[in-house]
Amino acid sequence: MSSSDSENESDVEMILEKAGLVTPGEMITDDTIWMRGHGTYAADNVTYSAVAGTIERVNKLLSVRPLRGRYIPVIGDHVVGRITEVGNRRWKVDIGASQDAVLMLGSVNLPGGILRRKSDDDELQMREFLKEGDLLNAEIQTLYADGAAALHTRSLRYGKLRNGLFVQVPASLVLRLRTQVYRLEGGIEMILGINGYIWIRKATSTNANAAPMDVSINRLEQESNSMEIYKDENDPIPPSTRQTISRYANCIQALVYNEVGINEARLRAVYEASVVYTDAGELLDNTVKTDIVKQAMATL
Amino acid sequence: MSRFEIYSPEGLRADGRRWNELRHIKCGINTHSKSADGSAVVEMGASKVVCIVQGPQEPETRSRVREKATLSVSVTVAPFSTTERSKHVTNDRRLQEMSANLQNLFEEAVLTHLHPRTEIVCSLTVIAQDGGLLSCCINAMTLALIDAGLPMYEYVSACSVALFDQTPLLDPNNVEETELASVTVGIVGETDKISLLILERRLGLDRLPPALELGVEGCKVLRQVMDKEVRRHGAMRLASRAE
Repeated sequence: MSSSDSENESDVEMILEKAGLVTPGEMITDDTIWMRGHGTYAADNVTYSAVAGTIERVNKLLSVRPLRGRYIPVIGDHVVGRITEVGNRRWKVDIGASQDAVLMLGSVNLPGGILRRKSDDDELQMREFLKEGDLLNAEIQTLYADGAAALHTRSLRYGKLRNGLFVQVPASLVLRLRTQVYRLEGGIEMILGINGYIWIRKATSTNANAAPMDVSINRLEQESNSMEIYKDENDPIPPSTRQTISRYANCIQALVYNEVGINEARLRAVYEASVVYTDAGELLDNTVKTDIVKQAMATL
Repeated sequence: MSRFEIYSPEGLRADGRRWNELRHIKCGINTHSKSADGSAVVEMGASKVVCIVQGPQEPETRSRVREKATLSVSVTVAPFSTTERSKHVTNDRRLQEMSANLQNLFEEAVLTHLHPRTEIVCSLTVIAQDGGLLSCCINAMTLALIDAGLPMYEYVSACSVALFDQTPLLDPNNVEETELASVTVGIVGETDKISLLILERRLGLDRLPPALELGVEGCKVLRQVMDKEVRRHGAMRLASRAE
């Protein structure tokens, strides 16, 4: 901390103090030492807020984080997406951001080994791998200048999704954690995309092996040899597993209804609180949603 | 006071307001949180408009891909919105003009350059109309855009003023609007800068300034009401997050 920082400390307090909430057009500061970040604009050296939200400060950078808004991609984010378009050597993927993300043919694992070059044949049969409407999980590889994202699925953790249920929630309610893939009670696995797209599926033995710790290059080569990873058909899923999946989905909806951020611990707690209701459909009632979330949050 | 008297000598209008009084304003933000990125409902007296904002999102057609966000506005009037049920009209010139006006106005107010190659879809539905339709739409759209988290320079607020002889009447209802010439004024923020001015009938130039002055004052009040609603909703949201 330099001396100039401490001098400004009272100033900072003042700015953040008034900053429970700012609305568009509200003056944030007329001090020129601040740098203007997202959610702000300047006119005549005065910084104004451009959105309704809270002020955030990183050193000398002031930005306003909007209360609501679409998902903003960040490199390294684990996201769930849906293919919207098959194009020239690339797929377009809806990840809930303001623009569709791009998945290049070169950034996916194709059958026949990881080190294989992508041939013209691959280009022609892109729809065999992923077609419009398919769901996949991927990682954000790079960001373009206009804010669009490029994805990659070069790991066994990523790829096409099946055997499960898709749930969409506001991205702001998904909490960022070290890992986004969880094994849950009842033989369920959940992929909690940071973009607010969630996949709840039956846990299978291959899924278990694909847990981050066990990924080795050999394994990767063996498994990606077959067309298996791009298979469309679901495995047989027993009714009890289906019940459990929908129960988890409804638990997520309950958290969303109460505007509580979603993470593994909370979801487990809500699930436990929900067990008193024997039918998963009962959780759709709004009073029940509030009840189970309150109970769950009390246990944490 | 006779039934058809618009403005009595005592200074009262048909609905009991004075010349400088707005109708009751009710606004709600984030009213359709499940189905839209941003939503708002604005009621001005008996007029009621719902605005739904989707986006910024991938443009539906290639022609809408530009170096800044494209606003596409559509206005729908519900058949039950007037006192007499109207037949569904597909291509109303008035509505087309209104959506063009809204689009021009908000492309200036929203920082569209921050979202290149995207489209922002705004759908306005008129639930009930009793005068001041355009201003009601503008106010609803401002709130819905703020709810969607889109960057804007300032609130855009609008209200209309009718002219009875030399007296300007603030926020006219349907009866006053059909009888008198009226002007719709829109301002950005709390400044006196007029960003929208629409006059649909003949009016003497000397009668315009007092009308504008009154209109701007009305807009400022509307801005305060809208700001209050945004803060109320924001505080609620922050409180639920803090728990």
